[in-house]
Amino acid sequence: MPSTVQKVNFEPVSDILTLWLRDLPLANPDLANPLNAVAIVDGEWLTLDTNYKWVRATDITSTASISALKSFPCFSELGRSDRLGMSQKKTNCIFRGEFEFETRIFDAAVGTAITFVMQPLKVRTITIGTRNFSGLVGHGGSGDTDAIVGYVTKLPTSNGGKLRFISGYRV
Amino acid sequence: MSVPATMMNELFATKLNSSEGKEKIAEYGGSYVRDRLREVSFARKVIPPEQVTRADCQRSVNHDTLVKIVDIEPQSRAMSITFRGKPTARFIRGSRAEVAFFTISSEMFQKTEQELLAYEMPITKIIEENSVKDIQEIEDREFTIHIEASVQALQTEANGGVSKALKGGTGSTIGSTVEFSVRKGELARTTATTSTEVLAVQRPDFVSLFKMLDGNRLRSERLLMTETDWDDLLNWTVEDFGDRVQSETTVDGYKYNTILGKPYIRTIKTDILRPGNIYVFTKPEFFGKFYVLNNTKFYIDKIANQITFQAWEDVGMSVLNIAAVRKLELYSGDANPSTDTDGYIAAGNFIPLNEEALGAVNNRVDAGLKFPQVSMY
Repeated sequence: MPSTVQKVNFEPVSDILTLWLRDLPLANPDLANPLNAVAIVDGEWLTLDTNYKWVRATDITSTASISALKSFPCFSELGRSDRLGMSQKKTNCIFRGEFEFETRIFDAAVGTAITFVMQPLKVRTITIGTRNFSGLVGHGGSGDTDAIVGYVTKLPTSNGGKLRFISGYRV
Repeated sequence: MSVPATMMNELFATKLNSSEGKEKIAEYGGSYVRDRLREVSFARKVIPPEQVTRADCQRSVNHDTLVKIVDIEPQSRAMSITFRGKPTARFIRGSRAEVAFFTISSEMFQKTEQELLAYEMPITKIIEENSVKDIQEIEDREFTIHIEASVQALQTEANGGVSKALKGGTGSTIGSTVEFSVRKGELARTTATTSTEVLAVQRPDFVSLFKMLDGNRLRSERLLMTETDWDDLLNWTVEDFGDRVQSETTVDGYKYNTILGKPYIRTIKTDILRPGNIYVFTKPEFFGKFYVLNNTKFYIDKIANQITFQAWEDVGMSVLNIAAVRKLELYSGDANPSTDTDGYIAAGNFIPLNEEALGAVNNRVDAGLKFPQVSMY
């Protein structure tokens, strides 16, 4: 079942008060511009560069790119004016804390298909429609050395096309 | 009313046990050594903020944020025609621009009730008061980045859409770069080498700066400079001042509110407005908007013995007419972020420091540097 990108792509289904939400500048501020063809959307996964700024967790020019680092989900919808109004285009991500969210930025078929509840998830470049994103795909399990960023709690096939997952890291 | 600082800290902790006590505690007192001077916002002096409400703002259909849409003056002109002639038509259209709101927050301060008792100064009150000025520092930083982006954008346009270095690099000359919105000072332009050294502002520098604005159907109305650049005025000679002002300045310093007829704003925030950068602005109505959606709010809570407090405001600021600000550079190095010929910007010169680097601690008490050295056991 292919995903679709909508206005809101990443929504909580658990309490967000306990989350450590961190606003950091984007290394490339142009990615906050909603008219940018590769703008960052909510539900994409970002990681830190050496300047303590957000960069995409994967190289979205390559569909084979997999995040080698721990990464953090973006909790800022496309084009939010609170982000555009400031000079550094700070973007909100969930830095730490346990959460359960629903995302549309995933591909259930690429790599290891997402097929069962509690399946581990990792971050990889995925294609939705005509462009690429840093999104969730299935993790291969014990033979897969890539970082796990969460676990499936509800499959998109039974959740209106959205993937529900809980956080959880394992490298 | 003045109360001992220790009592203030106790009151602070005690009052937070009741819901009424969570309201701001007004009394304060005590003595302590200040680390640095905190200054109110200079951005607010250039563009006085206007209070807006939700009703003044527009929502987005794509997300839950607000903007205020501002109308820009429409174009019009007149023409001479014959008795039988007709004027050319203009289908009226006025531009509009959005001013986006965002939050500026203090840190979230946390302390246990017991550890608070170890302070004789009213530390919570000091932090609360300083937080307002810390927030205004970030306002100034945002403002400075916006005005710098404005002058560079206009300079690039004047150079045929090409971002050109202004001095800097081999030979270090102005060369073919058009100085439309950014100009080097007299001493900087005649310096053969390139450097980050800030050279003293000369009287012709101000005149040249004013002329960049005054020659474009705008009028320069207000200067913004650092305290250190202003100090160089005190070195002006009798040829600049005339003997009366020179005599006054020698005794009392420069006491006037204007320089060459223009009001000026001085700032000690040299980590935001870096020395060597002097800006001139038009009146605010030609320049931009600074809106306050929510004035500074103060949140305080106590869970068990843990006290938490935080302050924040919601503001939006925008340079809507980028031609209404011009800049004078008093150093010979290239300060164009797009070219950065000498690598000086990459090395942290000329532009505001990062948020986390602002307000570096002046005192060295934690490092044990105070004199005489006394350690009590």
